[in-house]
Parts: sequence; C-alpha cells; structure tokens
Amino acid sequence: MPADPLHILIAAAVSWVNFIAIDLFFRLPERGGVSGASEIGRQIEAGGGALPGGYMMGNIVSSPDASAGTLLAACGVFIAGVPGGLLTALLVYLGNRVCHDPGYAGTTGCITATFIVYGFSLIGISPASFIAGMVIAILTIQGISSVHASRLLATLWGWRRA
Amino acid sequence: MTPEEAALTVCVVVAAYAGIRVLLERNTVKKLPFLNVCSFAVAGSIVLILPHPLTIIAAAAYFIGTTLESNAIASTYAGGIREE
Repeated sequence: MPADPLHILIAAAVSWVNFIAIDLFFRLPERGGVSGASEIGRQIEAGGGALPGGYMMGNIVSSPDASAGTLLAACGVFIAGVPGGLLTALLVYLGNRVCHDPGYAGTTGCITATFIVYGFSLIGISPASFIAGMVIAILTIQGISSVHASRLLATLWGWRRA
Repeated sequence: MTPEEAALTVCVVVAAYAGIRVLLERNTVKKLPFLNVCSFAVAGSIVLILPHPLTIIAAAAYFIGTTLESNAIASTYAGGIREE
C-alpha cells in the first residue's frame, strides 16, 4: 500500500483531538502536578504565555499524559494490534506512578487511542500513520511557540470550565 | 514509499527540528517542551525501525525514562520537592 500524506494529516488531527480532550477532561491545566510542571508553567507565563496552558504543557513534559498514551498506543497497535495497545496502557500506568503523577489521563488516553487507532486501521489508515500523526500533534503544542500554544490551551480550558 | 517509511521520515525530520530548537533555546526550563517533542519522535522512530514485540517495552521504557529525567530537571530548577 503506498503512503498517503492525507492519512498522516487525518491521523494527526484525530490524535490531537484525542489527547487534548482527555487532558482537559482530567484538568491538566488546573495546576502543575509536580513542582517541575509548575515551574515550566511559570516560565512560559513569564515569557508572555498563559499560565493554565503553561501548567498543561508542564504536566505533559513531567509525566506521561494522554499525548504519550496516544503515541505509545499507536506504537503498540502497529506492532501487536489491540493487545499491544493495551500492554502500553499498562506501561503508561506504571510510568505515571514512577513520575509521581496521581492521575489517569495517560492510561485513559492510551486505552481510547488503542481502539481509535485499531478502528482507523480497519478503514485503511495504517497505525504507522498514527505514530507520525501523534508526533506532528505534539509538535504543534510543545514544539513551535510556547506563547501561542499556551494561550490556545488556556482558551480551550476556559471552555472546559464554562 | 510505504506508510512505514513515510511515518519514519516524519519522525526523523521532527526529531532533528526539535533537537535544533533545544540547542537554540537559552532558558533551560523552556528547553524541556522541545526535548519532549524530540522524545516523542525518537520513541516513534524506534518502533518504526524495529517492529518487534519487545520494542513496545523498549520504546515505552525510553519514553518514560526521558519524561522522568525532564521531571527531575524541572523540579530541581523549581527548588526541589517543597511544594508537593
């Protein structure tokens, strides 16, 4: 099957929605889960960004959240189908405990992403496209502009709280 | 180009880009989000290059390990664990 750039873009959009929705549902922008995440949030705010978005970006850096869950679920499904995805959910759960994260955003994101990636593989979008898609999705949040990304996340957080 | 090769190309390009952003950013704490992107791209590349069941564990261990390191670096800059 030849590669289709559209598949990677669809996978990136689906991955983006999956991890942002679950991270907002688990209230990641509310506060830094560990002191390091709070510090990243404060530094981003000091650079002109928004504090809730900075906290969420700090939390993404400091512990495997739904974005990491989505990436590792895509990796697991790519190699071993749904059982592989569920194995990564267990690994993300252990990773959260290692990183002193009391939440379940990573594990939940991993389980939902396992079934999403498997579902899209049935209609011809390879799990490999989801690996690249999730890399692009995290690039848009963490890798381009911390100021603009934190403001976008703060806006979405405002909708979540409303 | 197969989907796997296309995905690997994306991962490698993003990893190189994020690595350059890490080098260019002067504030140590603000390097960490770029390092996070680099870790995502490298974890994805590991799986795409070595499709084997044990690779799932290797990629997850690599990714969780880098996350823990970023957590430790940021917490050190924040002044330790007083806030927790």
